[in-house]
Amino acid sequence: MSIVTVQLGQCGNQIGFEVFDALLSDSHSSQGLCCKRENEAYQASCKERFFSEEENGVPIARAVLVDMEPKVINQTLSKAAQSGRWKYGQHACFCQKQGSGNNWAYGYSVHGPRHEESIMNLIRKEVEKCDSFSGFFIIMSMAGGTGSGIGAFVTQNLQDQYSNSLKMNQIIWPYGTGEVIVQNYNSILTLSHLYRSSDALLVHENDAVHKICAKLMNIKQISFSDINQVLAHQLGSVFQPTYSAESSFHYRRNPLEGFKDPALYTSWLPVHAFNVWKTQRAFSKYEKSAVLVSNSQFLVKPLDMIVGKAWNMFASKAYIHQYTKFGIEEEDFLDSFTSLEQVVASYCNL
Amino acid sequence: MRRRRVDPAAGARAGALPEAIAALSRSLPSGPSPEIFRRAKFDRPEATSALWQLLFRVLSPLPAGNALASIALEVQARLVKSALCSQGYPRLALAQLPEDGSQGSRELLLALSWLLARGPVPEQMLAQTRVPLGDEMTVCQCEALASLGPPAPHMEAEGPVDVRHVQWLMGKLRFRWRQLVSSQQEQCALLSKIHLYTRGCHSDQNLGHLSVTEAEMLRDPEGGQKLLRTLERESRRLEAVLAWRRAEPVFWQWMDTVLGTCTPEAPAAASQPTFLPWVPECGDGELELVVRELQTLEEELREAVERRRVAWEAKARGCGRGPEWSATRRASRETVEKELGALQRCWEQDSGPAPAHGPHRLVRREDGAAGDRDLRAAELIRTLRSQEACLEAVLRQLQGQCRQELARLAGALPGLIWILPPGR
Repeated sequence: MSIVTVQLGQCGNQIGFEVFDALLSDSHSSQGLCCKRENEAYQASCKERFFSEEENGVPIARAVLVDMEPKVINQTLSKAAQSGRWKYGQHACFCQKQGSGNNWAYGYSVHGPRHEESIMNLIRKEVEKCDSFSGFFIIMSMAGGTGSGIGAFVTQNLQDQYSNSLKMNQIIWPYGTGEVIVQNYNSILTLSHLYRSSDALLVHENDAVHKICAKLMNIKQISFSDINQVLAHQLGSVFQPTYSAESSFHYRRNPLEGFKDPALYTSWLPVHAFNVWKTQRAFSKYEKSAVLVSNSQFLVKPLDMIVGKAWNMFASKAYIHQYTKFGIEEEDFLDSFTSLEQVVASYCNL
Repeated sequence: MRRRRVDPAAGARAGALPEAIAALSRSLPSGPSPEIFRRAKFDRPEATSALWQLLFRVLSPLPAGNALASIALEVQARLVKSALCSQGYPRLALAQLPEDGSQGSRELLLALSWLLARGPVPEQMLAQTRVPLGDEMTVCQCEALASLGPPAPHMEAEGPVDVRHVQWLMGKLRFRWRQLVSSQQEQCALLSKIHLYTRGCHSDQNLGHLSVTEAEMLRDPEGGQKLLRTLERESRRLEAVLAWRRAEPVFWQWMDTVLGTCTPEAPAAASQPTFLPWVPECGDGELELVVRELQTLEEELREAVERRRVAWEAKARGCGRGPEWSATRRASRETVEKELGALQRCWEQDSGPAPAHGPHRLVRREDGAAGDRDLRAAELIRTLRSQEACLEAVLRQLQGQCRQELARLAGALPGLIWILPPGR
């Protein structure tokens, strides 16, 4: 079952590259710690999911790259080609020359409709290449203009055109003390739109990943590249092929049994809502690793904070004209606030 | 139960009865031996569980498989009872039988013969388990409707149900549904590839290409042998069905004697059915509330009807006769006729012969030539699309009504702000 990845904006493209790289190097790693047949099954499954075959054997990532500036895309394409082990498709990218100025409205209302046909065509070609297509993985950031605005637009389009496919958006939550002044506006607009058209939002907070780099990995000068690699590692381990719980293999002592404690769950959710996927094979040189993907109240505080900050700015109408200039009216802001308040309320009332 | 008329001369020779019953038994999946039938006539307890199981196989909508074997006898018996009841089985004695298989074989035999008299049971069961050689799909909706089958034993709701749990379940259901759709799309893509690649391989010119089963047979000779054995089994069942049809009158003669040994029952119409529809238990208070609400609604409706009638009469009286009145009347009649016609067209099958029931074999043709009884995919797609459009229109109308109702309710409570969920 294949997944088509859509990489949007600077953030999306950089992370996307790291993810594909991590996936492929893990699948080719010689330290699988399992038997040969197992290894081959693992490799084949990973390849089918994320890469397509070319005649000379170099796997091509099932990805569409979109950005409004050429710099990052060109860097990404060449890094992939240089690795020699995989690459992006020749015609898989779409870029312009002007950028989005960190303005969600510009990305959503101007770039989106203007380039809708070209982008959707690229995506469609990628989907048609799949024998069995299971869904989209959209990587974007919330704070900028391209990833967030065009990301929201594209996700909506995918909802309309491929209503039966699953869409998961990987969202990068900006630093609390980020550099973009209007990042909170961009964030709330992105989240409220994605809430309607996406099936799952997987959130990575820059602050949290930064802490991992600093405290757990002891990196002194943390660059975006370090952060992206940690992210890619996490995502990679989520995406790698695993067995469903019915399969016959299991570790001798399953450390994940601890997660079945009912106290961790809301009153209305049955305990079997917890799904465990296991695999024999080691991931990326870690002999044992576990990834927890959870839908919990962890997100309430950061979300509340962003909504609060955005609301304060909105109350004094700061920078609103930059959005109304491109068709995002105050009413749209109000709608966004309403949706997100509802989300916060539902999570608080679990 | 009416006695079936039989020709007394038919099958009078000795040995005809065991042959007839043996044919019946062979024509049904895992049918019991003639000995079981004979014992059932005398209501012997040892024949009971075999007959429960046979009835379960006949009435169960599930295809045969290992799953069926693991269902306990009590559960099978309960399902058989409720299925027969919902089909209108008239005898009370069945509902009162114990479910542990300790007695009642004669009653079960009567139930079986009731089913056999109502419809072509062996043929239907054969159709359920037939081996398709081609790639098939069904066009009519009959199978979907027929597979509703006997209701599952109901589960008690333990206390109030949390709506969030229901929402979560809905989400899971939607997820599974989408997985199903994408699997189907994958299947279609692969079928198309196989049909394309095997062009010219089939000995039958009309078909032209291989189906999946046929291609698999060529690829895997051992699998081909298995298929052959399955087809031979099917042939034998088919022959058994034909033999059963020839020998049937003997069976019915015998069943008359079975019926004769039973004590006559009071007519079933006068008695209460044993299985009442399950009504969720609510507290007394809630029931009173509901009753009061219904009464208020009834009052409101009566008043509204009265007002409308008065208004209409006033209008109609004012109109009087004359060309203006008849013109208006004609115009409104035409509108109504047009709307009715549109609705009828919407729900009718597309013009042309209605597609035959049952499965059809998928054949890919380059030249586009189709025989008389062949169906074209393009036409079927068109029909399905128009049906889909009809249903969507009805859905939108119902959603609009819901929204209006919600708005009305929201308006009735002053000071309350309703935030409707974003439309999806």
